[in-house]
Amino acid sequence: MSRAMYTAANPPPRTAWDRINPIRLIGELSETRYWMYLLLLPSALLITAVVLYPTAYGMQMSFREMRLNRPDLGTDWVLFKHYARMLADPIFWTALRNTAVWVTSSIALEFLIGLVAALALNRNLPGTKLLAVLILLPYFLPNVVAGHMWALMLDPRMGVINDLLVRTGLLTGYKAWFADPSTAMAAAIIVESWHSFPFFTLLIMAGLKGIPTDLYKAADIDGAGPFAQLRLITLPMLKTIIAAAVILRVIGLVNSPDLLLILTSGGPGRSTQVLSLYAFQIAYKDFNFGYAGALSVVMFVLLMLFAWAYVRLSKVNQD
Amino acid sequence: MTRFDRRSVLKMGGGMLAASALFPKAAFAQSASINYWHTFTSQSEQAGLDSVMALFKAAHPDINVTPENIPNPEFMAKITAAVVSGSRPNVTMVSSERFRDLLAMGALIDMTDRIANWERRADFDDSRFASISLDGKVYGVPGFAFVDWMYYRKDWFEEAGIAPPKTYAEMRDAAIKLTDASKGRYGFGLRGGPGGQNYIINVMEAFGSPVLHADGSIGLDRDKAIEAIDFFAGLLVKDGAVPPSAANDGFRQVIEGFQTGQTAMIWHHTGSYQDIVSKLEPGVQFGTLAMPAGPATRVARLAYAYNTITKEDGADAAWEWIKFWGEPDAAVAFLEKTGYFPASTVAAQDQRITGNPMYAAAADTLAFGIPQPSFPGAAGWAESSVLPNFQRVLIGEATAEQAVDEMIAGLAEATA
Amino acid sequence: MAQTRSGSKLLWDIVSYTILVVLALVCVFPIIWTFLTSIKVEEDIVTRDMVYFPTRFTFDSYIKLWYQSSYPTLVINSLVVTSLTVLICLMTGTIASYALSRFHFPGRTQLMLGYLVVRMFPAVLMIIPLFIVMRQVGLLDSTYGLAIAYTSFLLPLFVWMLKGFFDAAPKELESAARIDGSTRLGAMFRIVIPIARNGLVATCVFVAIAAWNEYLFALMLTTSQGSRTWPVGLQLMVGEFQLPWGMLAAGGMISILPVIILFAIVQRVMVAGITAGAVKG
Repeated sequence: MSRAMYTAANPPPRTAWDRINPIRLIGELSETRYWMYLLLLPSALLITAVVLYPTAYGMQMSFREMRLNRPDLGTDWVLFKHYARMLADPIFWTALRNTAVWVTSSIALEFLIGLVAALALNRNLPGTKLLAVLILLPYFLPNVVAGHMWALMLDPRMGVINDLLVRTGLLTGYKAWFADPSTAMAAAIIVESWHSFPFFTLLIMAGLKGIPTDLYKAADIDGAGPFAQLRLITLPMLKTIIAAAVILRVIGLVNSPDLLLILTSGGPGRSTQVLSLYAFQIAYKDFNFGYAGALSVVMFVLLMLFAWAYVRLSKVNQD
Repeated sequence: MTRFDRRSVLKMGGGMLAASALFPKAAFAQSASINYWHTFTSQSEQAGLDSVMALFKAAHPDINVTPENIPNPEFMAKITAAVVSGSRPNVTMVSSERFRDLLAMGALIDMTDRIANWERRADFDDSRFASISLDGKVYGVPGFAFVDWMYYRKDWFEEAGIAPPKTYAEMRDAAIKLTDASKGRYGFGLRGGPGGQNYIINVMEAFGSPVLHADGSIGLDRDKAIEAIDFFAGLLVKDGAVPPSAANDGFRQVIEGFQTGQTAMIWHHTGSYQDIVSKLEPGVQFGTLAMPAGPATRVARLAYAYNTITKEDGADAAWEWIKFWGEPDAAVAFLEKTGYFPASTVAAQDQRITGNPMYAAAADTLAFGIPQPSFPGAAGWAESSVLPNFQRVLIGEATAEQAVDEMIAGLAEATA
Repeated sequence: MAQTRSGSKLLWDIVSYTILVVLALVCVFPIIWTFLTSIKVEEDIVTRDMVYFPTRFTFDSYIKLWYQSSYPTLVINSLVVTSLTVLICLMTGTIASYALSRFHFPGRTQLMLGYLVVRMFPAVLMIIPLFIVMRQVGLLDSTYGLAIAYTSFLLPLFVWMLKGFFDAAPKELESAARIDGSTRLGAMFRIVIPIARNGLVATCVFVAIAAWNEYLFALMLTTSQGSRTWPVGLQLMVGEFQLPWGMLAAGGMISILPVIILFAIVQRVMVAGITAGAVKG
């Protein structure tokens, strides 16, 4: 049944223009079986064309020897040599562990603060508009600026936060936050969360507007308290949006070394070394693109597993 | 009808977008212009480059130099991409520790003949070309010199009645004496953060464990290296004569520490001279010294930033630009803005330099300075093995023995 | 009953208010500090004695920033690239997201993950092959090339985020429209997209911000003569042993301005919230 049904809103072609009107034709097209594929085509083409070759290139690099500063070693296929090296590489395991800590803590913190902020803003109290703009500001700063500004504020010589903490008596002297392995990661996580929690706030806020208030009224009548309502109405309704936000954020955190590059470069003593930073350094300082490629593939596989598991477990697609 | 209009505008826009993608902008420059990639980023360096470019323009109005500044950390990444894809710059500034890696990549063009026929070749000591030559072929001309030296708080030293140190031991004593945590003062600004790896290697060499030996072999002397790390990290861990932020202190933090009156001594090179002068009074508050000597030898790095030709096309114009840095006027103009020493011996003897007592320490260093060890993988090993392991000693996570063992293992891997 | 309900509502209002104010302060303090740093004189920044309320001001940082590294050009480049990116994403991503949300077909989950997959490969490693491809196609160092590169990794973000919003928009309205005789195309454009308008706007804002702030691709794919963007220009000011804090801060302040303006305009649309009405009825 591929012919469109002619109705009042979609009358049969009467004039010559009607016969060639592209909008009408596309409208007819939209009734066909192939419509959904046509919708997907432009974006799929774009992504494939621009991304496929570099990604494939990067992946095949991981199976070859490719040390740019040692051309004498050639670029032969070495299959799983890099992967074997990775398993035996203690720095890899340290980086993996640090990445897990970095990602989990940041996401947890960002989600919590983001959710609380969104809920509070959603109450539409007076002055919400101004508060909303202020609260969302951190996300507008690029990593470059945010990283350096926090480095300045936490600086062990000129840091205003150190000064404030000393004045209020919480610290005895200026602390070098990024020189102490026990605080370096924590400080970095706080900076990252400060920077990115508005991502969650924005998405959740927009999602909250889509939840019908009837549900809450009904819950009120049933005597459900605010936390119960949160658990039983709000969060389930936001499931798809939260899933999208979490997955996207996890990908961003695992893949981008920007902030840590500015704040710590993986130090001190590798306490903030994460996989993305490690891969970057192996590629552009050691020029060992083969090994860096292998690290990237591993990161890639981990992310895929995570996304698949998350989507499955949260049953996001069953609606 | 409005619906139709909106959509048609979108379609037109899309069409225009596609059409214009077929006529891309021209990428790099024409024949009378050359691209110059460098790593100058600070204000003083920019000013220095500007003054040299202005002088060059006056001398060669037909050649247009287009500078492109790339931050040091990303420099190798960009050069690698450029070499791999074939869109190279004409002239590139190369520091000695990157030479071997870049040569191995095929980035540099042989300049032996041009240099041999250059009338100013005699202005330079032969040794200055050592770090940019391999197998008898020369690949660059020194543009300016990084002369390692030490800044010290003259006023503090005079106050405490201590003489400026000449050896590591004296330096350590002075550092301990001048440390007063209650006043927020520390004796030495140790650079344990990014960039600190070179000084660690220097200290190891000063204790008798150079990583690159005279016969070309590569390796560390375990016992001497341990002694060196013990001493250097000990300045923080045992003597407490170093600010506690050392493990994360990079170049800027160390300079800022000195500028804000936190530290009594720091190691750096002449390039930061103008920046220090902007904050402290030369000769009164601070002075300059040659690097102190270690138990085995005195290690004061004398490195050059080389200008190299990285593209066959336009090599002649590139050569003109590279030659120009050897002109005394250009070199002195650059020095006055930055503090970087000229690379040519003749320029270094210019009255404007020898007449300034603050430069005396650097002038002396020119006599005994030695180049940085350079071999393929050197820079990578220093950054990913030497530094983190040293940091682990600083934060108490490892002993000097463990750290050195790791460094030796890392070295074996890097040179495998 | 009404008494306790409004009583507890008041309590929660106060709690919310406190949280919001504290959060706003925490968020805005670093930015205020950045602003203060941008107008302080050098001596007041690099000093042991913290200066909270500077008594001497200067706009030197802004002036130097503007004239050095031709900052205005960089900003314009960024504007062009960002607009192009958002445009392309809007045109291709909206329909894709709609399709993924509304149509169930075999391989749907795989395709969705497929969109994500392209984001999962670290940009750091893709840069060099991407550089080669761009150069061969002649799109190196052009705003179009950069916009296409950005689109490649922002489009999945766009599609995934928007899908969440489309999913949340109820299907009943479309069914009703179709029964009334509208084509799928009509239903899509006349019903669903207006309802998901909030989500559409939020998603576009995100893509715009990401494109505006992006650093790594811009660094590798552009030169100062061509289409270099402002984040690259800013990072280049970070010297080896000297950081011009004032200029960096000034750059940060200038960069945040268009984003704030954009957001202020968009705020009205987002806060309006038409969904309540449509769904209730």
